[in-house]
Amino acid sequence: MSELSRRKFIAGTAVSAGSLALSGGLMAFKEPQHLHPTSDTDTPRAKYDIMQDVAKYRKLDSHVHVNLASTDAEVQKKYAESLIDYSRRLQVQKLVLSNPVTRLINGVPDGSPEAFIRNNNIVLAVMKLYPEVLTGSFTFNPVHAKESMDEIKRCVDQGMTNAKVYYQTKINDPSYYPIVEKMIDLKMIIHCHAEVQIGVGGYRMKYNGFKPKNVSIPEDFVDIAKRYPEAMFQYAHIGGGGDWEYMCKALKNSPNVYVDTSGSNNEEHLVDFAVAHLGEDRVLFGSDNCYYQSVGKILASNLTETQKRKIFFENFNNILRKGGRNVD
Amino acid sequence: MSLAGLIVSGPVLDATEFGGHSGFMPASARPYDLMKDVMKYRKIDSHVHSDLYDGPPENNIAFMDRLGIEKMFISRPVTSGEGTPKDFRHYNDLTLKAMKKFPGRLTGQFTVNVPYQKESLEEIQRRVDQGMVGLKVYTQVKINDPLFYPIIEKMISLKMIIHMHSHCQLGLGGYRMKYDTGIRPNTSIPEDFADIAKRYPEAMFQYAHIGGGGDYEYACKMFTHLPNIYVDTSGSNNPEGMVDFAVKQLGEERVFFGSDNCYYQSVGKILASELTESQRKKVFFENYNKILEKSGNSIK
Amino acid sequence: MLIDINAYVGNWPFQQMKYNTCELLLDRMNKFGVDISVISNLNGIFYKNTQSANEELHQEIRSARKFSDRFIPFAVINPIYAGWRDDLETSVKKMGMRGVRIYPKYHDFGITDPACIELVKRVRDYGLPVAFEYRMVDSRQRSWMDIDYVVGTTKREWNLKDILPIVKAVPDAKYMILNYANAAVLTPDEMNLVKTADLIFDTSGRTITNMSEFLKLYGTNKFAFGTHSPILDYLTGQLRIESLQPSEADERVKEQLRSGNAKKMLGLS
Ligand SMILES: [Zn+2]
Ligand SMILES: [Zn+2]
Repeated sequence: MSELSRRKFIAGTAVSAGSLALSGGLMAFKEPQHLHPTSDTDTPRAKYDIMQDVAKYRKLDSHVHVNLASTDAEVQKKYAESLIDYSRRLQVQKLVLSNPVTRLINGVPDGSPEAFIRNNNIVLAVMKLYPEVLTGSFTFNPVHAKESMDEIKRCVDQGMTNAKVYYQTKINDPSYYPIVEKMIDLKMIIHCHAEVQIGVGGYRMKYNGFKPKNVSIPEDFVDIAKRYPEAMFQYAHIGGGGDWEYMCKALKNSPNVYVDTSGSNNEEHLVDFAVAHLGEDRVLFGSDNCYYQSVGKILASNLTETQKRKIFFENFNNILRKGGRNVD
Repeated sequence: MSLAGLIVSGPVLDATEFGGHSGFMPASARPYDLMKDVMKYRKIDSHVHSDLYDGPPENNIAFMDRLGIEKMFISRPVTSGEGTPKDFRHYNDLTLKAMKKFPGRLTGQFTVNVPYQKESLEEIQRRVDQGMVGLKVYTQVKINDPLFYPIIEKMISLKMIIHMHSHCQLGLGGYRMKYDTGIRPNTSIPEDFADIAKRYPEAMFQYAHIGGGGDYEYACKMFTHLPNIYVDTSGSNNPEGMVDFAVKQLGEERVFFGSDNCYYQSVGKILASELTESQRKKVFFENYNKILEKSGNSIK
Repeated sequence: MLIDINAYVGNWPFQQMKYNTCELLLDRMNKFGVDISVISNLNGIFYKNTQSANEELHQEIRSARKFSDRFIPFAVINPIYAGWRDDLETSVKKMGMRGVRIYPKYHDFGITDPACIELVKRVRDYGLPVAFEYRMVDSRQRSWMDIDYVVGTTKREWNLKDILPIVKAVPDAKYMILNYANAAVLTPDEMNLVKTADLIFDTSGRTITNMSEFLKLYGTNKFAFGTHSPILDYLTGQLRIESLQPSEADERVKEQLRSGNAKKMLGLS
């Protein structure tokens, strides 16, 4: 035991793990006091209050869903309560909900107009439950061109803010062209599900990822973003389980592609890496309903205060502003 | 000249990029005379072949001269074919011929094939009488097979070491066979050595070539508590740290120098190690010489 | 007080890690109020001979007094590799390791392989815990060189049902089950096993989408703060605890989660 920790030990303020390990379970365990440094050479431990840090930032969740598994209004109502609980618990002022058609029929995504209309109706209903907190994105399938156009109009008229699409059709498929043009007119962002996994969506297909073949990958975003530089694209959930280093590097030179940080993964350094590669204006806060991680990964990053504010709120709000749907 | 100095002297880069010293002076390493280091140590090669990988014994002699190897214990195990008494006698004849051609420099290890029990025992005695020292065996039968028992007992009475080819690779010889390589199923693996060494604590075993491509960490760890198993450092592999690891796990007395005809690596890996002078001497020469001493064959 | 029961130093071969030395991790701890971390060396997952990794960790912790004050080292042991019994003894008796991490998937043995059972029993006999991970990284972002337990394929990632057989085989050992991933519906027997065993989960795993529900399901004595640092971000594991409402967990329960349950598991009180 060093002189220093002997002194501490006698003073009874702190017992180190080291001395505990030496003496086994016999020694009483006293708690170090947070504000006292453990040694002279050591930086004092901050008394870090995570909930205070959480409360410090306004937040706009750019990627969050209603209950994706149910069409039952009661189930959705109950789920909406959990969304509101999240918004209060983690101080998220606004949630942009979506309900893309994720259902597979024999391994093939359900791409029917009935499915996307039904899904949008669910979002519209949930939005109305807590209009101050909840807004929504519409979904569609561009291979049904007319139905999709009609649906976009219907949903925009009812206050929805942007598009959310899934893996029915790749984002750079020609069927998207008229839709993208429509979205340019509306000045709204197109938020598309995306992945980077070996064996998925055309990326290193010698591995089998057992996924629908039209999952969009970064190369598809790069392609469509180049064709339509005036359009805005949201590459979904860089924390969604895929290789986020690959994603950010691939999207670096596509200034009209934004990424959201949502997803169940919260690898250390993910947010820093995204900002380093894409700049502080193209990274958007999102949860994809993984609430703890979504906030934790940004607070744990090395971003500046300004950058945190941009990511939590301002970047997406600026996008919404273009279409006149900004939060404030 | 240091690498940094070399880069600086290139046409494009400016020396100021390397710390801003305008009068950059390249640093130099301390002079090291490798060949002097090579020649400093007496060496006995405990694992080497003649008439196998690199042809007739003249080639062995050439490398002995080049690298200061005083003595080689050559062998010609049955590496292919059936391994009948006719085969192993023929190979031992080749070895004997090489010995006779370079007396004092080459000594033969005899080989046998233990399913031919009676012939093997006779062959051992015959070759010992002709001056060969030590048994070298291959992959026909595992070292802990009961067929080996009488052979091992014979070697105990001769006070000579049993040098057995070995391997430690996934899917070979019974080690993690979900990865089956289909290679020589009777290859002896560390577990087989451990088994037989416990049964015959008076016998001496040489686990061949920890540099032979297998997992040397696994092998050395397996033998930590088995004082009658020795390893030789031969083989075509010379991973940095291997010799140090072997000495750390087995102690400085149970590690032999050997080349398995991979001469450069064999010497390089020991010179590059962190061993002390006295440890180097032991590994290059003394340890194996001590084994030879037991049967009265040591080199003065 | 905050004790992190799931942290590492060392490298992940397929991605650069930040904060992956004792020095950098200590900065992290100081910045975010973590008093003590249980750490292992990630390299032990990849070295065939895991003892080299344990030695590295031991050396690093010994290199500064401030490290031994704040880190509790766990050894990585592979029970199908030669010499592991010696390694375990050396780790515990000479290097002061206070537990053992076991990686059946990376080291390629079944969780109820006789060797694994023997290892768990030996650690139990030292009075120390063993730790198993659901997974190290998300298989969807795996390198082509990483193990091939992949979500959505026939060889899926592990869930709790894949880990419980060892708890069943050695019910009186102490278990830390880390980085909770992949939901599974337990049978009443399995749930009973989780509840009766001396077993804790850490709060780093992504499947804990609502901490309060997990506390209700398994009990407040079954969780302890963990980060899975440096692979996962340093705060999400803490957020799961601190964002609990008073109605869901009072200060006493929060203290249990911050350090009380960990202390019990680690024999610190
Ligand atoms: Zn989503
Ligand atoms: Zn050989």
